[in-house]
Amino acid sequence: MQLVLTVNGTTYEVEARPTARLLDVLRDQLGLTGTKEGCAEGECGACTVIVDGRAVDSCMMLAVQARGKEILTVEGLAQDGELDVLQQKFVEYGAVQCGYCTPGMLMSAKALLMGNPVPSEQDIRVALAGNLCRCTGYTAIVAAVKAASGQDTRPLMEMPVEPGELAAEAVTDPDTLAAACGIVEAETGQPPGGPCSSGGSSEMLGFHSAPEGGE
Amino acid sequence: MTEDLQYVGGNYPVHDVAQKVTGELVYGSDFSVPGMLHAKLILSTIPHGVVKRIDTSRAEALPGVIKVFSHENAPMDGFSRARIHPGQDMSFYDETLFSEHVRFVGDRVAAVVATSRATAEKAAALVEIEYEELPAVLTVDEALAPDAPAIHDGGNLLFEHEIEKGERPDLEGAVVVSSCVSTPRIHHAALEPHVCVAQGHSTGGMTVWTTSQGVYAARTVIAELLGLEYHRVRVIKLPMGGSFGGKTEYIIEPVCAFLAHATRRAVKLLLDREECMIATMVRPATRTTVRTACTPDGRLLDFGAASTLDSGGFAASTPDYSIHMCKKVTKIYRVPHYRHEGRVVYTNTPVGGAARGWGAPEMIAASEVHMDRVAAALRLDPVELRLKNMVEPHDTDLVTGLPLGDARVRECLERGSVAFDWAARRARPAGRGRIRRGVGVAAGAHKNGMYGAFPEASNASLKMNEDGTFVLNASLHDTGCGVVTTMRVIVAEVLGVHPDLVAAGEADTATTPFDYGTYGSRVTYVVGECARIVAEKVKDRLLTAAADLLQEPVERLGVADGAVHVRDDRERAIAYRDIARLSQMRHVPSIAASTTYYAVSNPASYSVQFAEVEVDCATGLVAVTDFLAVADVGRAINRGMVEAQYQGAVQMGIGYALYEHLDVDEKGRAGVDGFKNYHIVNAPDMPDVQVLLVEHEGDDGPFGAKSVGEIATVPTAAAVVNAVNNALGTELGDLPLTPERIIAALHGEEVAACSSC
Repeated sequence: MQLVLTVNGTTYEVEARPTARLLDVLRDQLGLTGTKEGCAEGECGACTVIVDGRAVDSCMMLAVQARGKEILTVEGLAQDGELDVLQQKFVEYGAVQCGYCTPGMLMSAKALLMGNPVPSEQDIRVALAGNLCRCTGYTAIVAAVKAASGQDTRPLMEMPVEPGELAAEAVTDPDTLAAACGIVEAETGQPPGGPCSSGGSSEMLGFHSAPEGGE
Repeated sequence: MTEDLQYVGGNYPVHDVAQKVTGELVYGSDFSVPGMLHAKLILSTIPHGVVKRIDTSRAEALPGVIKVFSHENAPMDGFSRARIHPGQDMSFYDETLFSEHVRFVGDRVAAVVATSRATAEKAAALVEIEYEELPAVLTVDEALAPDAPAIHDGGNLLFEHEIEKGERPDLEGAVVVSSCVSTPRIHHAALEPHVCVAQGHSTGGMTVWTTSQGVYAARTVIAELLGLEYHRVRVIKLPMGGSFGGKTEYIIEPVCAFLAHATRRAVKLLLDREECMIATMVRPATRTTVRTACTPDGRLLDFGAASTLDSGGFAASTPDYSIHMCKKVTKIYRVPHYRHEGRVVYTNTPVGGAARGWGAPEMIAASEVHMDRVAAALRLDPVELRLKNMVEPHDTDLVTGLPLGDARVRECLERGSVAFDWAARRARPAGRGRIRRGVGVAAGAHKNGMYGAFPEASNASLKMNEDGTFVLNASLHDTGCGVVTTMRVIVAEVLGVHPDLVAAGEADTATTPFDYGTYGSRVTYVVGECARIVAEKVKDRLLTAAADLLQEPVERLGVADGAVHVRDDRERAIAYRDIARLSQMRHVPSIAASTTYYAVSNPASYSVQFAEVEVDCATGLVAVTDFLAVADVGRAINRGMVEAQYQGAVQMGIGYALYEHLDVDEKGRAGVDGFKNYHIVNAPDMPDVQVLLVEHEGDDGPFGAKSVGEIATVPTAAAVVNAVNNALGTELGDLPLTPERIIAALHGEEVAACSSC
């Protein structure tokens, strides 16, 4: 059957089986695999998305029930490359380990903050009661949600450094470089290029956001 | 203790955190290959029997179904799901890809391969299987009965072992205490289900992508089953949504690999939650009786234990698991004489095997609940009794004969007692009303790798790029708790660069060097030390290259902030990228090193944990209201994640103590099929767990670091059980302490000791 869904602000026309769950359409047809499946029975919360402002287990909702509704998934949280404050605080508070529950946790927390901008700790714990986590014991997750609502709780993790940000930190002393270039020239019989031709420490070149072998 | 560390001891999120919070990270369950087929398992519905007939005609007639596989058309060679290397002793080849003789509800009978998951599921329901039922044995006692039906050739007593160390002192006048504790089967409950994708190539080789804790071992098992040379099987570790030991052994990888090899296609095998619960592996159920003798003032003279472990339908790793139960108590207490006998028994129940702690949470539940009985018998405070008996740093483990290293368990207990305000809290009355309050303590011990029992070593290479960044090449298996970050921090510390300038990938048998994987609390202690040493080697090469360029002897040089400098003239510095580029012109194309590190020790890691509980006598429900975990970690490489991992470990331990169990009914069916009837602790029921780290650098791990992930959950359940017994004045010892059991105990009902095993 033909369905029109609005997901993260984009309208999609999809052909879906009448029995397809919202989760299936998001993952298999729209390629939005950030929404996870952990139990298929609405108990673990890994598949939580926001439908018209409410947190919903997308494994328990037929895709057809989402017709014409506004759906927000984890992929829609960041805006223009800027992390949502919740995502930011999950990073800063070490609320992520294996991360499989994280998208669902974020969406439940997002729905909470949309309706209750300054929740108590108990409000947060209850809002996350349907999101299971086996890694964290919830402490860091609750702290992150608190912090996202402007209630700072405890010291933060160091944020990962933006690619390129560290590039200029390592400094070569110009005199030392000149002497080193002289040694290389004497050894090889050729004037060295690279750092020696630019008259100072080389710029960081070729440092990409995906470290080799790392991601 | 070295205090001038720049990066070690900081707080770093897991390496792929940005991809995790945006939903971008491709986990095993998200992974796909073009043209990929999907497989669905068909599991035994009876606990014991023989498959008489399989009719696949209706299933195979369904459009989109490729083929149905079973014992009739698959290799029937036995394999060991737990084998780490091909020559390994204690490997039991009692399992086949598909069973003709089914041994538990959940045993693999067949698999459907189809073009979509929905079709595979539909077809699986159309496969007709006829069984000849055999009598089933569902408990270890039934299995050991003289006329019990044999689950495997050779009988149901899979393995027996006995250890006796030290000399039995004169026990005259000694106070003798006996106890029995049983622990349940539990589901690991990694949020991501088990998943594997395998691609059979037209060349006859294959690639396997899996969320495993050890790709090299998976490769040997797969290659041998399929008759392939090892180099034709490439196994790649994918990001995984948790493991907790449940993905340590090779359960679905061999099956998925076979399906892909047989069809010469790519096949994805993704289990659902019920399949994960009954058809993969559980923490094995155990029952342990302990009998101790001590002096009237509380010094242990003799410690005797007898444990029985329920292996379920296959051996998996349970014999080794059971042996490790004998190696815990003497890491914590000085005991003149220790005796332990263990039995491992097949039953027609889900397979027991690797689980976080490898026998330690089970044994520590028995021994630490017992210690509270001893304290009660002697009218001693539980902390006082433990302090009278605890080992000192550099004692030798009576059982293993290995040095315990800089063992700080006593310091954990002393500092924890103060931080928790133990004496005052313990002195507070439990109350006489509906809500009773109590506190409990327990000490746990675990290991650091496999040295002493196993050829423990690791390999790593490290290279510097021409821009001064680094790439570590090691077979890392991050289960989600930050192994990759740990390695980056270690390398960064040695080389004086920010950890974000060090890249590290995960294991791939085609490209990363041999390593056993994430087992046995070995990664930080062994692989981490290997990473530290290879970084030292690269640093030596960097300094040598810089010495030529600076015309200074190496001894005068130091590293910091991505540059080599002259120590007494720090202005004279040359950045790594300039060293790299100038060195290339001098025919030093790459500053890199490789190393093999052989472990030299296996000290104990410790945790002492304190729980406060409130028990509702009307409902039998227990609330854990406060919790302190004290951790002898040697050195926290990544402080924030050590604390976070401890907090999660306590969640697992509280569940073990109070809620989680996977029992089978009289027909061998699990009483659970999902999280709706298998309760793991959720956010409202978790206390804010406080973590106190005891740090030092007396051992051989990187910067003194010791293991964290397993030890963290070892004493949790015992601390909670002791707190409940303190609140109620009971001697509960059958875990979990469900409301039914608590109410029965409060009503003074006779509760059969160790009834659940």
